[in-house]
Amino acid sequence: MSFKRLTMAAVAAGLFALPTAQAAEIEIEVWAPADKNERYRFEAITLAGNVLNEELKIEGSDTRVVVKKGTSFSGSQGWAQLKQGFSLAVEAGKGPHIIVGGHEDIPVWGSAGLIHPIEDYTDLEAWPFSDLFPSLWPIMSWNGQVWGAPQDAESRPFFAWNPHLKAIGYSDADIAALPDKVKSGQYTLQNVLEDAKKIQDKGLVEKGYGFYPRATKGGDYWQFYAVQKGGDMYDPKSGKLILDKGALLGYYQFFNDAVYKYGVTKKNHIGMEWDQWYNEVANGKAGLWHGGTWHYARYTRREGLTDFFDKVMFSLIPSGGSGGKATTLTHPLTYLISKRAKGEEIELAARLITIASEPRLNTLHAIASAHLGITKAQTKVSQYADDRWTAEATALLQSAFALPNSTDFGQYDTLVWKGLTAAWSGGVSPQDAVNTVVKEMQATMADKVIIR
Amino acid sequence: MERIRSYLPLWFMLPASVAVALFFLIPVFMTFVFSFTTMSSDTGILGSRYVVSDDTIRTLKGSGMDAALLEKLGSRIFTFDEAGLAALRKSNLKPAVVKEIAEKLSGKVYTSEKKLFNALKRLNNRPRSFKDRKSVSRSIVQTLKNREFKTAEEFRAGLASIGVEVAEDVFENLLDAANMSWKWTTSNYSELMASDFTGKILANTAFYVFFTLFFNVGFALLLALATFYMPSGQSKFFRAVWLIPRVSPSVIYIMLWRWLSFDNGFMSYVLGFFGVEPENWLNEYPWTFVIFANGFVGASMGMIIFASAVVAIPSDVLHAAEVDGAYKWQQIRRIILPLMAWPILFITTYQTLSLMTSFEYILLLTDGGPGFFTTEVWALNAYHTALSNYFGNLRYGFGATLAVMLVGVGIAMSLLYLRLFDFKKLVAEPQIEN
Repeated sequence: MSFKRLTMAAVAAGLFALPTAQAAEIEIEVWAPADKNERYRFEAITLAGNVLNEELKIEGSDTRVVVKKGTSFSGSQGWAQLKQGFSLAVEAGKGPHIIVGGHEDIPVWGSAGLIHPIEDYTDLEAWPFSDLFPSLWPIMSWNGQVWGAPQDAESRPFFAWNPHLKAIGYSDADIAALPDKVKSGQYTLQNVLEDAKKIQDKGLVEKGYGFYPRATKGGDYWQFYAVQKGGDMYDPKSGKLILDKGALLGYYQFFNDAVYKYGVTKKNHIGMEWDQWYNEVANGKAGLWHGGTWHYARYTRREGLTDFFDKVMFSLIPSGGSGGKATTLTHPLTYLISKRAKGEEIELAARLITIASEPRLNTLHAIASAHLGITKAQTKVSQYADDRWTAEATALLQSAFALPNSTDFGQYDTLVWKGLTAAWSGGVSPQDAVNTVVKEMQATMADKVIIR
Repeated sequence: MERIRSYLPLWFMLPASVAVALFFLIPVFMTFVFSFTTMSSDTGILGSRYVVSDDTIRTLKGSGMDAALLEKLGSRIFTFDEAGLAALRKSNLKPAVVKEIAEKLSGKVYTSEKKLFNALKRLNNRPRSFKDRKSVSRSIVQTLKNREFKTAEEFRAGLASIGVEVAEDVFENLLDAANMSWKWTTSNYSELMASDFTGKILANTAFYVFFTLFFNVGFALLLALATFYMPSGQSKFFRAVWLIPRVSPSVIYIMLWRWLSFDNGFMSYVLGFFGVEPENWLNEYPWTFVIFANGFVGASMGMIIFASAVVAIPSDVLHAAEVDGAYKWQQIRRIILPLMAWPILFITTYQTLSLMTSFEYILLLTDGGPGFFTTEVWALNAYHTALSNYFGNLRYGFGATLAVMLVGVGIAMSLLYLRLFDFKKLVAEPQIEN
């Protein structure tokens, strides 16, 4: 090849290379707690990346985004790892640009300056956020600003195994009416214990399987505090947490009764293996239990419960008795933009989150993982509307509450949880457990918690 | 003999000194420093930040600050004044947009961003994207609220920008309330004293260290002596077997213990034949499992040291003892154990210190539960406080306080052991040379 031809070839190659060299690729890294069913926490952003790149092309921008899947965590240990990893990584100038966190992370990370408030980078009054379920906005807010966009919504229903209910005398009509009786407060936690006992006494389930709560620590347990009279957790006026002694006693007493008085829950239940737990509740080995909307995916797929609606009743968590109210916890996860993102990266991250919140994209996650949607329009997306579970379970959201967004929540929660395990399996009476928790809070968190 | 003066030994010590400083002295010193801070996930570790947020204003209101000042601090006004228009001209907005704004909106004041955006939407050359509207808003806003300042001076300038001038003591109060980063405090130590659980966790730690150590060292000695009197092939086999816990990954090792102790595990299965109801034995007897699981791991380490120490004892001494008619027990009691004082000191000290700071097996086995800190030891508590919280707020400062106490106790224990085992005598120069 002559020198001239070589030069021409080089120039031609250079010209071809030019357009691609000009397009600046900006990498956006995403971290999320996601198992296989929940892969769309990531994938929705990846899909949004494709749309965003087309939009940028049309706008004549040379920028292109590349969505990188960062570390994924799952399981309850995974949560702690995710949060710890994020805090330390962003402090060190590393970590993701977008993280899927719990809404309770907003105050902690917002206070530490680890996240950008999303309200500054995307128009929350424009589509699709204009169509968001309004109750989700307070959950995304802290200290007067909206920090994140909800990634999903969910609720944590109470479940019962219909064949067992029938065996202790419920008719089909009774079972159909049960969710309403729960909602109106006619069916309470006291009835739960009694029915669990009947189911157990009939030999339908083994001892300790009458009422089969969540296998490990989790926000779910706060439901049994919230259904009690006075079971408030947060005072918006003072911005302080609330600990109601009466509600706390009702909460501890319920589990203590379940274990010792009625014998319908195992003393050593907490800390059991989740695989075993899912398998048992999805196969009629437990009488009554509580879980989350996403359990539907696990029950009907991996555990093979094909006739879910025939076999399982679901409702709000029953009231703790007079003065209490039936409710359920919603714990929306949230897309947050971390401070790792700078300049243009923040805008791009915000656009990715906005696109990923489109009804059709968010529905992929809702259906794949049996979570609930975030916008009203989603209930009209056929994939969502045609799915009986999401369609029916969305109704529970109206009576749902969320954990408070407070920087002190972790410390408060740890103590209340220790109290529960003490009253459950630690040989401490519920009243003593309450006293210990109250005393410790007075000693160590007096200025942060209103004890009443 | 006259000693030769030379700095050479000091040079030899240098690498070790650097390592000790880097990996021990500095971390301990920093931990001590951190223990006097409120550092946590929500304060962050680096840098300082001053933000006037809703919380700040609430705090100031509680402390009785002037209402008019607070009103001003919380206000957010959008003004198209000269400064605002100048900032607009410097922004990325199209000149036509800026021009029309200057013509039509000059001098206008808006009390909320929403009202500003509505006004902008009525322009012909309007900033169409949210980003551009935000750009206008950022250029003309006069507020302190939710703005981040890195230094006290920036914060003072920020106050001046919204026309607030305050006396120095008021400024200090404002600064303190707006400070989102960590502060110096002694409250970690007073919280530690105030908590009822401090005593319990301390007692747990002492209980755990004492019993595990006892099991550990005792069992290691037993293994070393038993295998010493065995034929060589068998002794090698037994020592290898006892090394298994040490070499298996801790997660798998603990999984086996859990599987052993669960209500549908091996123990319940075997005991079922004797009519015992299945139980979660781990939950019933958490301490027993914690001590055994840790003890077996520790024993293997002690066994190796002790076994080699026994072998190193000159065999003629033992032969002589046999000739004199000493029983095995007398040989152990009178000859072997005294000659092994040094390795026993080493293992006891080493194990005490490592047990005091080790928590991974307890973390995996019981996570400090069940109930109120039943098996929570000091080191695990420090870990839980500083590095692991279910809801993400990690208290580094308080965790450091716990760690400082642990370092203190560790040093005290080391000194105590040196005394107890008469360290000076052990390292005394051999009498025979003199």
